[in-house]
Amino acid sequence: MTAPAVVTAPSVATSRPAPRRSVASWLLFGAIAVYLLLPMLAVMLYAFATVWQARILPDGYTFDHFATVFTEPRIVAAIARSLVLSFVVTLLDIVIVLPAAYWSRVRNKRIRPLIEVGAAIPFVLPFLVIAFGIDRLVGMVTPSFQNTIWILILGQAAVAFPFLYWSVDGAMSAAGIERLSEAAETCGARPRQIVWRIVIPSIRVGIVTGSILVFATTFGEFSLAQVLVGAGFETLPLWQADALLQTTGRFNDLAATTILSFGLLVVLAAVLVWWGRGQTAQAVPGGGVRVGGR
Amino acid sequence: MTSLSPTHVTTEVGVPPRPRPGAATLRTIVGDWLPAVPLLALVATMLLAPALLLVVGSFTGTQGELTLDNWVKVINRRGDQTAIVTSITLAATVATLAALIGAPIAWLLSRMRSVGRLAWLALLTVAGNFGGIGLGFAYFSTLGGVGMVTLALQSLGLPFDPPRGASFNGLVLVFLYTNVPLYVLLVLPGMGALRDDWWEAAQVASATRAQFWRRVGIPVLLPFLAAGWLLVFTWSIGIYGLAYALAGAGAASGVQLMTLRIGSILQSDITETWRANVLAVMLMLFAVVSLLAYRAMLRRGLRWWR
Repeated sequence: MTAPAVVTAPSVATSRPAPRRSVASWLLFGAIAVYLLLPMLAVMLYAFATVWQARILPDGYTFDHFATVFTEPRIVAAIARSLVLSFVVTLLDIVIVLPAAYWSRVRNKRIRPLIEVGAAIPFVLPFLVIAFGIDRLVGMVTPSFQNTIWILILGQAAVAFPFLYWSVDGAMSAAGIERLSEAAETCGARPRQIVWRIVIPSIRVGIVTGSILVFATTFGEFSLAQVLVGAGFETLPLWQADALLQTTGRFNDLAATTILSFGLLVVLAAVLVWWGRGQTAQAVPGGGVRVGGR
Repeated sequence: MTSLSPTHVTTEVGVPPRPRPGAATLRTIVGDWLPAVPLLALVATMLLAPALLLVVGSFTGTQGELTLDNWVKVINRRGDQTAIVTSITLAATVATLAALIGAPIAWLLSRMRSVGRLAWLALLTVAGNFGGIGLGFAYFSTLGGVGMVTLALQSLGLPFDPPRGASFNGLVLVFLYTNVPLYVLLVLPGMGALRDDWWEAAQVASATRAQFWRRVGIPVLLPFLAAGWLLVFTWSIGIYGLAYALAGAGAASGVQLMTLRIGSILQSDITETWRANVLAVMLMLFAVVSLLAYRAMLRRGLRWWR
Protein backbone atom coordinates (compact mmCIF):
# COMPACT_ATOMS: atom_id res chain seq x y z
CA MET A 1 0.00 0.00 0.00
CA THR A 2 1.32 3.39 -0.88
CA ALA A 3 1.78 5.72 2.04
CA PRO A 4 -1.52 7.53 2.58
CA ALA A 5 -1.17 11.25 2.19
CA VAL A 6 -2.05 13.37 5.15
CA VAL A 7 -5.77 13.96 4.81
CA THR A 8 -6.20 17.67 5.23
CA ALA A 9 -8.43 19.31 2.71
CA PRO A 10 -10.62 16.53 1.35
CA SER A 11 -10.87 16.03 -2.37
CA VAL A 12 -7.92 18.29 -3.08
CA ALA A 13 -4.52 17.05 -4.11
CA THR A 14 -4.52 13.91 -1.99
CA SER A 15 -5.44 12.24 -5.24
CA ARG A 16 -5.07 8.58 -4.30
CA PRO A 17 -7.44 6.93 -6.77
CA ALA A 18 -6.41 9.24 -9.57
CA PRO A 19 -3.89 7.69 -11.87
CA ARG A 20 -0.52 9.35 -11.54
CA ARG A 21 0.29 11.71 -14.36
CA SER A 22 0.44 8.89 -16.84
CA VAL A 23 1.20 9.15 -20.53
CA ALA A 24 -2.48 8.51 -21.22
CA SER A 25 -3.64 11.48 -19.18
CA TRP A 26 -1.09 13.78 -20.82
CA LEU A 27 -2.29 12.60 -24.22
CA LEU A 28 -5.91 13.18 -23.25
CA PHE A 29 -5.31 16.70 -21.98
CA GLY A 30 -3.00 17.50 -24.86
CA ALA A 31 -5.50 16.36 -27.46
CA ILE A 32 -8.36 18.24 -25.85
CA ALA A 33 -6.26 21.40 -25.59
CA VAL A 34 -5.43 21.23 -29.29
CA TYR A 35 -9.05 20.54 -30.17
CA LEU A 36 -10.26 23.51 -28.13
CA LEU A 37 -7.53 25.97 -29.05
CA LEU A 38 -7.07 25.28 -32.76
CA PRO A 39 -10.35 26.84 -33.93
CA MET A 40 -9.71 29.89 -31.76
CA LEU A 41 -6.29 30.24 -33.35
CA ALA A 42 -7.71 29.81 -36.85
CA VAL A 43 -10.30 32.55 -36.32
CA MET A 44 -7.64 34.80 -34.84
CA LEU A 45 -5.35 34.34 -37.84
CA TYR A 46 -8.20 34.94 -40.27
CA ALA A 47 -9.04 38.16 -38.49
CA PHE A 48 -5.54 39.45 -39.27
CA ALA A 49 -4.79 37.69 -42.55
CA THR A 50 -4.37 39.47 -45.87
CA VAL A 51 -4.48 36.55 -48.25
CA TRP A 52 -4.71 32.99 -47.03
CA GLN A 53 -5.51 30.42 -49.62
CA ALA A 54 -2.73 28.01 -50.20
CA ARG A 55 -0.20 27.90 -47.43
CA ILE A 56 -0.16 26.77 -43.83
CA LEU A 57 -0.07 30.34 -42.56
CA PRO A 58 -1.49 33.54 -44.08
CA ASP A 59 0.60 35.36 -46.68
CA GLY A 60 0.53 38.55 -44.62
CA TYR A 61 -1.08 40.32 -41.72
CA THR A 62 -3.18 43.47 -41.46
CA PHE A 63 -5.55 45.41 -39.22
CA ASP A 64 -7.77 46.30 -42.17
CA HIS A 65 -10.58 43.91 -41.26
CA PHE A 66 -11.03 45.52 -37.87
CA ALA A 67 -11.09 48.91 -39.59
CA THR A 68 -13.84 47.59 -41.88
CA VAL A 69 -15.80 46.24 -38.94
CA PHE A 70 -15.65 49.54 -37.11
CA THR A 71 -16.50 51.68 -40.13
CA GLU A 72 -19.12 49.75 -42.06
CA PRO A 73 -22.41 51.18 -40.79
CA ARG A 74 -24.30 47.90 -40.94
CA ILE A 75 -21.79 46.05 -38.75
CA VAL A 76 -21.34 48.91 -36.31
CA ALA A 77 -25.10 49.13 -35.93
CA ALA A 78 -25.38 45.39 -35.35
CA ILE A 79 -22.70 45.48 -32.64
CA ALA A 80 -24.37 48.47 -31.01
CA ARG A 81 -27.75 46.75 -31.06
CA SER A 82 -26.34 43.64 -29.45
CA LEU A 83 -24.61 45.63 -26.74
CA VAL A 84 -27.69 47.73 -25.97
CA LEU A 85 -29.95 44.69 -25.99
CA SER A 86 -27.68 42.74 -23.64
CA PHE A 87 -27.35 45.72 -21.33
CA VAL A 88 -31.08 46.38 -21.12
CA VAL A 89 -31.89 42.70 -20.61
CA THR A 90 -29.31 42.39 -17.83
CA LEU A 91 -30.66 45.49 -16.09
CA LEU A 92 -34.23 44.27 -16.39
CA ASP A 93 -33.32 40.88 -14.96
CA ILE A 94 -31.53 42.45 -12.01
CA VAL A 95 -34.51 44.65 -11.25
CA ILE A 96 -37.06 41.85 -11.30
CA VAL A 97 -35.07 38.85 -10.05
CA LEU A 98 -33.47 40.36 -6.94
CA PRO A 99 -36.70 41.35 -5.15
CA ALA A 100 -38.34 38.04 -5.96
CA ALA A 101 -35.37 36.00 -4.76
CA TYR A 102 -35.08 38.08 -1.58
CA TRP A 103 -38.78 37.92 -0.81
CA SER A 104 -38.87 34.17 -1.36
CA ARG A 105 -36.28 33.83 1.40
CA VAL A 106 -37.37 36.32 4.04
CA ARG A 107 -41.11 36.52 3.69
CA ASN A 108 -42.94 34.01 1.54
CA LYS A 109 -41.51 30.54 0.95
CA ARG A 110 -44.26 29.71 -1.52
CA ILE A 111 -42.64 31.96 -4.13
CA ARG A 112 -39.64 29.67 -4.46
CA PRO A 113 -41.19 26.60 -6.15
CA LEU A 114 -42.84 28.88 -8.70
CA ILE A 115 -39.55 30.53 -9.61
CA GLU A 116 -37.88 27.15 -9.82
CA VAL A 117 -40.43 25.81 -12.26
CA GLY A 118 -39.90 28.94 -14.34
CA ALA A 119 -36.13 28.56 -14.21
CA ALA A 120 -36.31 24.92 -15.31
CA ILE A 121 -38.05 25.85 -18.57
CA PRO A 122 -35.20 27.66 -20.36
CA PHE A 123 -32.73 25.26 -18.74
CA VAL A 124 -34.01 22.35 -20.82
CA LEU A 125 -36.31 23.74 -23.48
CA PRO A 126 -34.62 24.83 -26.72
CA PHE A 127 -34.63 28.60 -27.05
CA LEU A 128 -35.98 28.12 -30.56
CA VAL A 129 -39.08 26.45 -29.17
CA ILE A 130 -39.59 29.16 -26.57
CA ALA A 131 -39.18 31.84 -29.22
CA PHE A 132 -41.70 30.07 -31.46
CA GLY A 133 -44.22 29.91 -28.61
CA ILE A 134 -43.75 33.55 -27.71
CA ASP A 135 -44.18 34.59 -31.32
CA ARG A 136 -47.45 32.66 -31.64
CA LEU A 137 -48.75 33.98 -28.34
CA VAL A 138 -47.97 37.57 -29.20
CA GLY A 139 -49.51 37.12 -32.64
CA MET A 140 -52.70 35.94 -31.00
CA VAL A 141 -52.99 38.29 -28.06
CA THR A 142 -51.26 41.55 -28.96
CA PRO A 143 -50.39 41.50 -32.68
CA SER A 144 -49.19 45.10 -32.59
CA PHE A 145 -46.24 43.96 -30.45
CA GLN A 146 -45.18 41.25 -32.87
CA ASN A 147 -41.71 41.76 -34.34
CA THR A 148 -40.87 44.61 -31.98
CA ILE A 149 -37.75 44.95 -29.93
CA TRP A 150 -39.89 44.99 -26.77
CA ILE A 151 -40.83 41.37 -27.26
CA LEU A 152 -37.20 40.47 -27.86
CA ILE A 153 -36.19 42.19 -24.61
CA LEU A 154 -38.91 40.44 -22.62
CA GLY A 155 -38.19 37.05 -24.20
CA GLN A 156 -34.44 37.37 -23.64
CA ALA A 157 -34.99 38.45 -20.04
CA ALA A 158 -37.19 35.39 -19.53
CA VAL A 159 -34.77 32.83 -20.98
CA ALA A 160 -31.74 34.33 -19.26
CA PHE A 161 -33.17 35.01 -15.79
CA PRO A 162 -32.30 31.57 -14.33
CA PHE A 163 -28.57 32.33 -14.50
CA LEU A 164 -29.05 35.40 -12.35
CA TYR A 165 -31.54 33.72 -10.06
CA TRP A 166 -29.33 30.71 -9.35
CA SER A 167 -26.24 32.72 -8.59
CA VAL A 168 -28.09 35.33 -6.51
CA ASP A 169 -30.00 32.69 -4.60
CA GLY A 170 -26.79 30.77 -3.96
CA ALA A 171 -25.13 33.94 -2.68
CA MET A 172 -28.10 34.68 -0.41
CA SER A 173 -27.95 31.20 1.01
CA ALA A 174 -24.20 31.44 1.55
CA ALA A 175 -24.55 34.81 3.27
CA GLY A 176 -27.42 33.60 5.45
CA ILE A 177 -29.53 36.49 4.30
CA GLU A 178 -32.50 35.64 6.52
CA ARG A 179 -30.47 35.94 9.70
CA LEU A 180 -28.67 39.05 8.49
CA SER A 181 -31.95 40.76 7.70
CA GLU A 182 -33.39 39.74 11.00
CA ALA A 183 -30.36 41.01 12.88
CA ALA A 184 -30.49 44.31 11.04
CA GLU A 185 -34.18 44.59 11.81
CA THR A 186 -33.53 43.95 15.48
CA CYS A 187 -30.95 46.70 15.49
CA GLY A 188 -33.60 49.06 14.23
CA ALA A 189 -32.52 49.38 10.61
CA ARG A 190 -35.12 50.68 8.20
CA PRO A 191 -36.10 48.52 5.21
CA ARG A 192 -34.19 50.71 2.79
CA GLN A 193 -31.07 50.50 4.94
CA ILE A 194 -31.41 46.72 5.14
CA VAL A 195 -31.56 46.39 1.39
CA TRP A 196 -28.78 48.80 0.47
CA ARG A 197 -26.40 48.34 3.39
CA ILE A 198 -26.87 44.66 4.23
CA VAL A 199 -28.45 42.61 1.48
CA ILE A 200 -26.85 43.99 -1.66
CA PRO A 201 -23.28 44.21 -0.30
CA SER A 202 -23.43 40.66 1.02
CA ILE A 203 -24.57 39.13 -2.28
CA ARG A 204 -22.49 41.34 -4.58
CA VAL A 205 -20.48 38.46 -6.01
CA GLY A 206 -23.65 36.59 -6.88
CA ILE A 207 -25.10 39.62 -8.62
CA VAL A 208 -21.96 40.23 -10.69
CA THR A 209 -21.59 36.57 -11.66
CA GLY A 210 -25.23 36.20 -12.61
CA SER A 211 -25.28 39.46 -14.55
CA ILE A 212 -22.27 38.40 -16.58
CA LEU A 213 -23.97 35.14 -17.49
CA VAL A 214 -27.14 36.98 -18.52
CA PHE A 215 -25.17 39.48 -20.58
CA ALA A 216 -23.14 36.83 -22.37
CA THR A 217 -26.18 34.67 -23.08
CA THR A 218 -28.03 37.58 -24.59
CA PHE A 219 -25.07 38.82 -26.60
CA GLY A 220 -24.58 35.53 -28.42
CA GLU A 221 -28.19 34.48 -28.73
CA PHE A 222 -29.37 33.82 -32.26
CA SER A 223 -32.68 31.96 -32.27
CA LEU A 224 -34.75 34.45 -30.27
CA ALA A 225 -33.46 37.34 -32.33
CA GLN A 226 -34.20 35.55 -35.59
CA VAL A 227 -37.68 34.33 -34.70
CA LEU A 228 -38.96 37.26 -32.65
CA VAL A 229 -37.71 40.23 -34.68
CA GLY A 230 -35.54 39.07 -37.55
CA ALA A 231 -34.21 41.59 -40.01
CA GLY A 232 -36.07 44.42 -38.28
CA PHE A 233 -33.46 44.49 -35.53
CA GLU A 234 -30.26 43.00 -36.84
CA THR A 235 -28.08 41.92 -33.93
CA LEU A 236 -24.48 40.83 -34.36
CA PRO A 237 -25.28 37.09 -34.53
CA LEU A 238 -27.93 37.81 -37.18
CA TRP A 239 -25.44 39.75 -39.26
CA GLN A 240 -22.86 37.01 -38.85
CA ALA A 241 -25.31 34.32 -39.94
CA ASP A 242 -26.27 36.37 -42.97
CA ALA A 243 -22.67 37.01 -43.96
CA LEU A 244 -21.80 33.35 -43.45
CA LEU A 245 -24.62 32.01 -45.60
CA GLN A 246 -24.23 34.57 -48.37
CA THR A 247 -20.66 33.32 -48.83
CA THR A 248 -19.69 36.59 -50.46
CA GLY A 249 -16.12 36.39 -49.29
CA ARG A 250 -16.59 38.23 -46.03
CA PHE A 251 -14.52 35.62 -44.30
CA ASN A 252 -12.08 38.06 -42.74
CA ASP A 253 -14.75 40.46 -41.50
CA LEU A 254 -16.59 37.54 -39.98
CA ALA A 255 -13.38 36.53 -38.27
CA ALA A 256 -12.90 40.03 -36.90
CA THR A 257 -16.42 40.22 -35.45
CA THR A 258 -16.05 36.73 -34.01
CA ILE A 259 -12.82 37.79 -32.32
CA LEU A 260 -14.58 40.86 -30.91
CA SER A 261 -17.41 38.93 -29.32
CA PHE A 262 -14.99 36.24 -28.34
CA GLY A 263 -12.75 38.76 -26.60
CA LEU A 264 -15.77 39.97 -24.68
CA LEU A 265 -16.53 36.40 -23.70
CA VAL A 266 -12.96 35.74 -22.56
CA VAL A 267 -12.94 38.84 -20.38
CA LEU A 268 -16.28 37.90 -18.86
CA ALA A 269 -15.19 34.30 -18.29
CA ALA A 270 -11.97 35.47 -16.65
CA VAL A 271 -14.00 37.60 -14.26
CA LEU A 272 -16.28 34.65 -13.60
CA VAL A 273 -13.52 32.18 -12.85
CA TRP A 274 -11.65 34.76 -10.80
CA TRP A 275 -14.64 35.66 -8.65
CA GLY A 276 -15.66 32.04 -8.26
CA ARG A 277 -12.06 30.93 -7.60
CA GLY A 278 -12.55 27.74 -9.50
CA GLN A 279 -16.02 27.08 -8.21
CA THR A 280 -17.93 28.39 -11.20
CA ALA A 281 -19.43 25.02 -11.83
CA GLN A 282 -22.10 24.93 -9.18
CA ALA A 283 -24.05 22.93 -11.65
CA VAL A 284 -25.09 19.85 -9.82
CA PRO A 285 -27.85 20.81 -7.41
CA GLY A 286 -30.25 22.11 -9.99
CA GLY A 287 -28.01 24.91 -11.16
CA GLY A 288 -26.28 25.19 -14.45
CA VAL A 289 -23.48 26.77 -16.34
CA ARG A 290 -24.96 27.47 -19.70
CA VAL A 291 -24.15 30.57 -21.60
CA GLY A 292 -23.89 31.57 -25.18
CA GLY A 293 -26.11 31.10 -28.14
CA ARG A 294 -27.65 27.77 -28.84
CA MET B 1 -37.89 34.35 11.25
CA THR B 2 -39.91 31.78 9.42
CA SER B 3 -38.83 29.26 11.98
CA LEU B 4 -40.98 30.97 14.58
CA SER B 5 -44.38 29.51 15.15
CA PRO B 6 -47.20 31.19 13.24
CA THR B 7 -48.97 32.32 16.41
CA HIS B 8 -45.93 34.23 17.52
CA VAL B 9 -46.35 37.89 16.67
CA THR B 10 -43.33 38.85 14.62
CA THR B 11 -42.24 41.87 12.73
CA GLU B 12 -41.45 40.85 9.20
CA VAL B 13 -38.35 42.15 7.57
CA GLY B 14 -38.83 45.24 5.52
CA VAL B 15 -42.58 45.53 5.93
CA PRO B 16 -45.00 46.64 8.59
CA PRO B 17 -46.01 43.93 11.09
CA ARG B 18 -48.24 41.31 9.60
CA PRO B 19 -51.85 41.99 10.55
CA ARG B 20 -53.60 39.61 12.89
CA PRO B 21 -55.35 36.67 11.23
CA GLY B 22 -58.68 37.59 9.74
CA ALA B 23 -57.92 41.27 9.37
CA ALA B 24 -56.94 42.86 6.08
CA THR B 25 -56.23 39.63 4.22
CA LEU B 26 -55.86 41.45 0.93
CA ARG B 27 -53.04 43.53 2.35
CA THR B 28 -51.36 40.39 3.61
CA ILE B 29 -51.56 38.76 0.23
CA VAL B 30 -50.18 41.83 -1.48
CA GLY B 31 -47.40 42.08 1.06
CA ASP B 32 -46.55 38.42 0.65
CA TRP B 33 -46.36 38.45 -3.14
CA LEU B 34 -45.82 41.96 -4.49
CA PRO B 35 -42.00 41.98 -4.92
CA ALA B 36 -42.16 38.71 -6.80
CA VAL B 37 -44.99 39.72 -9.12
CA PRO B 38 -42.86 41.12 -11.99
CA LEU B 39 -40.72 37.97 -12.21
CA LEU B 40 -43.67 35.62 -11.89
CA ALA B 41 -45.55 37.60 -14.52
CA LEU B 42 -42.58 37.35 -16.88
CA VAL B 43 -42.33 33.61 -16.31
CA ALA B 44 -46.06 33.18 -16.87
CA THR B 45 -46.28 35.24 -20.06
CA MET B 46 -42.96 34.49 -21.73
CA LEU B 47 -42.34 30.88 -20.70
CA LEU B 48 -45.41 29.05 -19.39
CA ALA B 49 -48.10 30.50 -21.63
CA PRO B 50 -46.10 30.07 -24.87
CA ALA B 51 -45.31 26.46 -23.97
CA LEU B 52 -48.94 25.70 -23.21
CA LEU B 53 -50.05 27.43 -26.38
CA LEU B 54 -47.74 25.24 -28.44
CA VAL B 55 -49.03 22.08 -26.76
CA VAL B 56 -52.65 23.04 -27.39
CA GLY B 57 -51.81 24.25 -30.88
CA SER B 58 -50.32 20.90 -31.86
CA PHE B 59 -53.68 19.25 -31.17
CA THR B 60 -55.78 21.89 -32.90
CA GLY B 61 -57.05 21.54 -36.46
CA THR B 62 -57.65 24.26 -39.01
CA GLN B 63 -61.22 24.75 -37.83
CA GLY B 64 -60.09 25.02 -34.23
CA GLU B 65 -61.24 21.52 -33.37
CA LEU B 66 -59.26 19.10 -31.20
CA THR B 67 -57.51 16.52 -33.32
CA LEU B 68 -54.54 14.21 -33.59
CA ASP B 69 -54.25 14.87 -37.33
CA ASN B 70 -51.22 17.11 -37.08
CA TRP B 71 -49.27 14.52 -35.16
CA VAL B 72 -50.27 11.72 -37.49
CA LYS B 73 -49.30 13.74 -40.55
CA VAL B 74 -45.92 14.69 -39.14
CA ILE B 75 -45.12 11.16 -38.02
CA ASN B 76 -46.05 9.76 -41.41
CA ARG B 77 -44.16 12.22 -43.51
CA ARG B 78 -40.79 11.14 -44.85
CA GLY B 79 -38.94 14.43 -44.38
CA ASP B 80 -40.12 14.81 -40.81
CA GLN B 81 -39.25 11.22 -39.98
CA THR B 82 -35.75 11.72 -41.28
CA ALA B 83 -35.35 14.91 -39.28
CA ILE B 84 -36.58 13.29 -36.07
CA VAL B 85 -34.36 10.23 -36.43
CA THR B 86 -31.33 12.33 -37.40
CA SER B 87 -31.84 14.71 -34.48
CA ILE B 88 -32.08 11.88 -31.98
CA THR B 89 -29.09 10.02 -33.43
CA LEU B 90 -27.02 13.18 -33.54
CA ALA B 91 -27.83 14.16 -29.95
CA ALA B 92 -27.20 10.64 -28.66
CA THR B 93 -23.87 10.44 -30.50
CA VAL B 94 -22.78 13.82 -29.20
CA ALA B 95 -23.83 13.04 -25.63
CA THR B 96 -22.11 9.65 -25.64
CA LEU B 97 -18.87 10.99 -27.05
CA ALA B 98 -18.99 13.96 -24.66
CA ALA B 99 -19.39 11.55 -21.75
CA LEU B 100 -16.60 9.23 -22.92
CA ILE B 101 -14.17 12.11 -23.34
CA GLY B 102 -15.48 14.37 -20.60
CA ALA B 103 -15.75 11.92 -17.71
CA PRO B 104 -12.02 11.10 -17.46
CA ILE B 105 -11.18 14.78 -17.85
CA ALA B 106 -13.58 15.75 -15.08
CA TRP B 107 -12.17 13.06 -12.83
CA LEU B 108 -8.55 14.11 -13.40
CA LEU B 109 -9.47 17.77 -12.98
CA SER B 110 -11.21 17.13 -9.70
CA ARG B 111 -7.95 15.83 -8.25
CA MET B 112 -5.71 18.40 -9.87
CA ARG B 113 -3.76 21.08 -8.02
CA SER B 114 -5.47 24.40 -7.95
CA VAL B 115 -3.35 26.39 -10.41
CA GLY B 116 -3.64 24.00 -13.31
CA ARG B 117 -7.25 23.41 -12.41
CA LEU B 118 -8.05 27.09 -12.61
CA ALA B 119 -6.45 27.41 -16.02
CA TRP B 120 -8.38 24.42 -17.33
CA LEU B 121 -11.62 25.70 -15.87
CA ALA B 122 -11.05 29.00 -17.62
CA LEU B 123 -10.39 27.29 -20.96
CA LEU B 124 -13.42 25.03 -20.55
CA THR B 125 -15.66 27.91 -19.56
CA VAL B 126 -14.64 29.89 -22.61
CA ALA B 127 -14.94 26.96 -25.01
CA GLY B 128 -18.23 25.84 -23.49
CA ASN B 129 -19.66 29.27 -24.05
CA PHE B 130 -18.24 29.70 -27.53
CA GLY B 131 -21.33 28.66 -29.41
CA GLY B 132 -23.81 29.79 -31.98
CA ILE B 133 -22.85 31.50 -35.20
CA GLY B 134 -19.32 32.34 -34.07
CA LEU B 135 -18.48 28.70 -33.54
CA GLY B 136 -20.02 27.79 -36.86
CA PHE B 137 -17.70 30.23 -38.52
CA ALA B 138 -14.76 28.86 -36.51
CA TYR B 139 -15.51 25.45 -38.00
CA PHE B 140 -15.19 26.77 -41.52
CA SER B 141 -11.99 28.63 -40.74
CA THR B 142 -10.50 25.44 -39.29
CA LEU B 143 -11.88 22.61 -41.41
CA GLY B 144 -13.55 24.39 -44.30
CA GLY B 145 -12.29 24.42 -47.88
CA VAL B 146 -9.66 27.03 -46.99
CA GLY B 147 -9.60 26.20 -43.30
CA MET B 148 -6.36 26.21 -41.38
CA VAL B 149 -6.13 22.47 -40.80
CA THR B 150 -7.23 21.70 -44.35
CA LEU B 151 -4.59 24.00 -45.81
CA ALA B 152 -1.91 22.68 -43.50
CA LEU B 153 -2.54 19.06 -44.34
CA GLN B 154 -2.92 19.69 -48.05
CA SER B 155 0.27 21.69 -48.25
CA LEU B 156 2.01 18.70 -46.71
CA GLY B 157 0.75 16.78 -49.69
CA LEU B 158 -1.89 14.80 -47.82
CA PRO B 159 -5.15 14.20 -49.68
CA PHE B 160 -7.24 15.61 -46.85
CA ASP B 161 -10.96 15.98 -47.36
CA PRO B 162 -12.64 17.51 -44.30
CA PRO B 163 -16.24 16.56 -43.43
CA ARG B 164 -18.65 19.12 -44.82
CA GLY B 165 -20.21 21.41 -42.25
CA ALA B 166 -23.66 20.31 -43.29
CA SER B 167 -22.85 16.62 -42.87
CA PHE B 168 -23.62 14.43 -39.87
CA ASN B 169 -19.95 14.03 -38.96
CA GLY B 170 -19.34 17.74 -39.33
CA LEU B 171 -22.19 18.52 -36.95
CA VAL B 172 -20.94 15.96 -34.40
CA LEU B 173 -17.46 17.44 -34.51
CA VAL B 174 -18.74 20.97 -33.93
CA PHE B 175 -21.39 20.10 -31.35
CA LEU B 176 -18.71 18.37 -29.30
CA TYR B 177 -16.75 21.59 -29.13
CA THR B 178 -19.17 23.15 -26.66
CA ASN B 179 -20.59 20.00 -25.22
CA VAL B 180 -17.40 18.31 -23.99
CA PRO B 181 -16.51 21.36 -21.87
CA LEU B 182 -20.10 21.71 -20.69
CA TYR B 183 -20.18 18.05 -19.75
CA VAL B 184 -16.97 18.42 -17.75
CA LEU B 185 -18.23 21.52 -15.94
CA LEU B 186 -21.52 19.79 -15.28
CA VAL B 187 -20.19 16.57 -13.74
CA LEU B 188 -17.15 18.07 -12.03
CA PRO B 189 -18.90 18.86 -8.72
CA GLY B 190 -20.26 15.31 -8.63
CA MET B 191 -16.73 13.90 -8.65
CA GLY B 192 -16.50 14.81 -4.97
CA ALA B 193 -18.94 11.99 -4.23
CA LEU B 194 -16.12 9.48 -4.57
CA ARG B 195 -14.18 9.84 -1.36
CA ASP B 196 -10.45 9.35 -1.28
CA ASP B 197 -10.47 7.11 1.78
CA TRP B 198 -12.53 4.55 -0.14
CA TRP B 199 -9.56 3.93 -2.39
CA GLU B 200 -7.43 3.42 0.68
CA ALA B 201 -10.04 1.08 2.12
CA ALA B 202 -10.13 -0.84 -1.15
CA GLN B 203 -6.36 -1.13 -1.10
CA VAL B 204 -6.41 -2.42 2.45
CA ALA B 205 -8.77 -5.09 1.15
CA SER B 206 -6.11 -5.64 -1.53
CA ALA B 207 -8.26 -4.58 -4.46
CA THR B 208 -6.64 -3.64 -7.73
CA ARG B 209 -7.23 -0.30 -9.35
CA ALA B 210 -9.47 -1.92 -11.95
CA GLN B 211 -11.52 -3.67 -9.29
CA PHE B 212 -11.89 -0.46 -7.35
CA TRP B 213 -13.23 1.34 -10.38
CA ARG B 214 -15.58 -1.46 -11.38
CA ARG B 215 -17.04 -2.11 -7.93
CA VAL B 216 -16.88 1.31 -6.27
CA GLY B 217 -15.80 4.18 -8.49
CA ILE B 218 -18.06 3.76 -11.48
CA PRO B 219 -21.20 2.80 -9.50
CA VAL B 220 -20.86 5.82 -7.22
CA LEU B 221 -20.20 8.26 -10.07
CA LEU B 222 -22.60 6.75 -12.56
CA PRO B 223 -25.69 8.76 -11.58
CA PHE B 224 -23.78 12.03 -12.12
CA LEU B 225 -22.28 10.85 -15.40
CA ALA B 226 -25.70 9.72 -16.62
CA ALA B 227 -27.32 12.97 -15.53
CA GLY B 228 -24.71 14.88 -17.51
CA TRP B 229 -25.36 12.66 -20.53
CA LEU B 230 -29.06 13.47 -20.35
CA LEU B 231 -28.51 17.22 -20.25
CA VAL B 232 -26.05 17.18 -23.11
CA PHE B 233 -28.51 15.09 -25.10
CA THR B 234 -31.30 17.57 -24.40
CA TRP B 235 -29.19 20.59 -25.21
CA SER B 236 -27.79 19.03 -28.37
CA ILE B 237 -31.17 18.10 -29.76
CA GLY B 238 -32.28 21.71 -29.26
CA ILE B 239 -29.25 23.45 -30.81
CA TYR B 240 -30.36 25.77 -33.58
CA GLY B 241 -28.02 28.71 -34.17
CA LEU B 242 -24.91 26.59 -34.58
CA ALA B 243 -26.65 24.09 -36.83
CA TYR B 244 -28.06 26.94 -38.89
CA ALA B 245 -24.58 28.40 -39.36
CA LEU B 246 -23.27 25.05 -40.58
CA ALA B 247 -26.13 23.68 -42.59
CA GLY B 248 -27.96 26.80 -43.66
CA ALA B 249 -31.71 26.66 -43.70
CA GLY B 250 -31.23 22.93 -44.06
CA ALA B 251 -34.03 22.19 -46.47
CA ALA B 252 -31.89 21.90 -49.54
CA SER B 253 -28.44 21.17 -48.21
CA GLY B 254 -27.48 18.02 -46.44
CA VAL B 255 -28.65 17.16 -42.96
CA GLN B 256 -32.23 17.48 -41.80
CA LEU B 257 -32.71 18.34 -38.14
CA MET B 258 -35.87 19.05 -36.17
CA THR B 259 -34.68 22.51 -35.17
CA LEU B 260 -33.59 23.41 -38.70
CA ARG B 261 -36.99 22.34 -40.00
CA ILE B 262 -38.82 24.42 -37.41
CA GLY B 263 -36.59 27.36 -38.21
CA SER B 264 -37.07 27.19 -41.95
CA ILE B 265 -40.84 26.83 -41.63
CA LEU B 266 -40.96 29.87 -39.37
CA GLN B 267 -38.83 31.84 -41.79
CA SER B 268 -40.67 31.09 -44.96
CA ASP B 269 -43.68 28.86 -44.84
CA ILE B 270 -46.65 30.24 -42.90
CA THR B 271 -49.00 27.51 -44.10
CA GLU B 272 -46.85 24.81 -42.53
CA THR B 273 -46.78 26.34 -39.05
CA TRP B 274 -48.74 23.42 -37.64
CA ARG B 275 -45.91 21.12 -38.68
CA ALA B 276 -43.33 23.23 -36.84
CA ASN B 277 -45.71 23.26 -33.92
CA VAL B 278 -45.79 19.46 -33.63
CA LEU B 279 -42.00 19.22 -33.95
CA ALA B 280 -41.61 21.85 -31.23
CA VAL B 281 -43.88 19.92 -28.88
CA MET B 282 -41.84 16.78 -29.55
CA LEU B 283 -38.74 18.67 -28.48
CA MET B 284 -40.63 19.78 -25.38
CA LEU B 285 -41.43 16.16 -24.59
CA PHE B 286 -37.76 15.22 -24.80
CA ALA B 287 -36.91 18.11 -22.52
CA VAL B 288 -39.53 17.28 -19.89
CA VAL B 289 -38.69 13.58 -19.79
CA SER B 290 -34.98 14.20 -19.55
CA LEU B 291 -35.41 16.87 -16.86
CA LEU B 292 -37.39 14.43 -14.71
CA ALA B 293 -34.85 11.68 -15.29
CA TYR B 294 -32.04 14.14 -14.55
CA ARG B 295 -33.60 15.01 -11.19
CA ALA B 296 -34.04 11.33 -10.32
CA MET B 297 -30.42 10.56 -11.21
CA LEU B 298 -29.10 13.37 -9.07
CA ARG B 299 -31.18 12.21 -6.12
CA ARG B 300 -29.61 8.76 -6.50
CA GLY B 301 -26.14 10.22 -6.81
CA LEU B 302 -26.49 12.44 -3.78
CA ARG B 303 -27.15 9.41 -1.56
CA TRP B 304 -23.40 9.00 -1.29
CA TRP B 305 -22.81 12.67 -0.79
CA ARG B 306 -21.59 13.82 2.53
